[in-house]
Amino acid sequence: MTAVADFSVYLLRSLKETFTPPYRYKDIMSQLEFVSWQSLPVILFCVSFAAIVTIMESSFHMKLVVQNDALVPGFAALLILRELGAVISALLLTSRVGAGLAAEVGSMQVTEQIDALRMLGIDPVRFLVVPRFLACIAGGFLLSLIANLVCLYCAMLVSELSLGYSPGAFLTGMRAFVDFQDLIFATIKGATFGAVIPLVSCFFGFRCKSGAEGVGLATTNSVVVSSVAIIVLDFVLTYIFSHFY
Amino acid sequence: MLKVLKNLVDDIGACMMFLRDMIRTGIRTPCTWEAVCVQIWKVTVQSLPTTMMAGFFVGAIMTVQFTMQIKAFGALGYLGGLATSATVREVGPLLIAFLLSGKVGAFTSAELGTMRVTEQIDAIRCLGANPLQEIILPRFLGIVISSFILLAAGLLMSIFGGLILGAFFAGINPEEYIRHIPTIVSKFSIYSGLFKCLVFAMILASVCTYKGYTATGGAKGVGRAVVSTAVMTMVGIVVSDWLTSLLSETTLVLFRGDLF
Repeated sequence: MTAVADFSVYLLRSLKETFTPPYRYKDIMSQLEFVSWQSLPVILFCVSFAAIVTIMESSFHMKLVVQNDALVPGFAALLILRELGAVISALLLTSRVGAGLAAEVGSMQVTEQIDALRMLGIDPVRFLVVPRFLACIAGGFLLSLIANLVCLYCAMLVSELSLGYSPGAFLTGMRAFVDFQDLIFATIKGATFGAVIPLVSCFFGFRCKSGAEGVGLATTNSVVVSSVAIIVLDFVLTYIFSHFY
Repeated sequence: MLKVLKNLVDDIGACMMFLRDMIRTGIRTPCTWEAVCVQIWKVTVQSLPTTMMAGFFVGAIMTVQFTMQIKAFGALGYLGGLATSATVREVGPLLIAFLLSGKVGAFTSAELGTMRVTEQIDAIRCLGANPLQEIILPRFLGIVISSFILLAAGLLMSIFGGLILGAFFAGINPEEYIRHIPTIVSKFSIYSGLFKCLVFAMILASVCTYKGYTATGGAKGVGRAVVSTAVMTMVGIVVSDWLTSLLSETTLVLFRGDLF
């Protein structure tokens, strides 16, 4: 209970600090490079394999229920844009960036660097959380955009190679199901998931106690809590967006 | 680029050899059941609440998404079957693997890495015991076995979540939701889901024990081991997801009719 209360106080403080200028652009940019550019290869790799699996699985289910796979491109594109692209890249970001942030802030807490910051009159929330928060929102937005497009491209490739649909047929089938607003919703999802990661990991990093073991505990806790929070938020956002279609 | 590729191939090969050593140790000098049960209990209790919660919400998401699609075809009756089939075949094992790699994988590689850099593993060897048999094998078996327990809990919760959302969001009677599950979810789908779970758990367990066991260079090295465990398991899981899907589809084509 106290953890929840602490977290809401911390959340309000970081939101307040986020909206008060000035911002340290250099810091934000270097964080953005860590979050988005360095995670890009692994995310694109995983997302393209996810596209292959999506095509295969949806053709299996289609054959089972409606006896043909004519609607597979549309269905797969829809699943990718509405769920997979954003969620898979967010879960990968959690285990890469979230773990890294929690370990970084946690070891700063253990080695009393955060107390040193406070001594110097620098607000640790403002100094540490705000740049990471802004960078992760921007990074989540960009990554979900790129991941969705690459995932769709791979799905197009696979459905040509294994199901025999030409790219034109894929795009036509896709247009019947998805719209431009789906891409916008996907990027909103990506930005929201990106916002969760630094908030949760820095929170666990600040609360980290007692040596190397504490850092490990903070890391695992932050990964678990942010992945569950991403799934819960995904449900909430899906439910909200379902009223707009 | 070439160097990254070479490192990757090196890592995969070393991990395979580690797995081979572990299996050989397990056949020649098996570890005690007590040690395995302790690990099963630890992993299961640690991850059960998160798995159940995530399972509930995943079932709910699947139902909401499928409802919007199926409504256009007027096939809302199939909702229960389709949502459950997708969860059993694909999403359930994947979800368990992702959650376990975040929690148990990171924890195990950090634990073993700390044991390695503080020379506790060397101490075990000095005492005349085999570290593979005494500490690695119980953890490996514990992760693999408890992933099935967690899969069962997650799947049950996802059916429950789908049922509730089906009743509130799609307006489908829970009885109808459940009655349509056996018409779509075949025995083969369940076997394929279980096989996927086994493969993911083995990849996760061997990568995290290998990375922890071979950690070098103090606390920084442990941190590096944890991060590379996370990345490597994710990549391994996604790739093997594709491979197992391919395998199950091939098997289905070969034995169509016999297993349904």
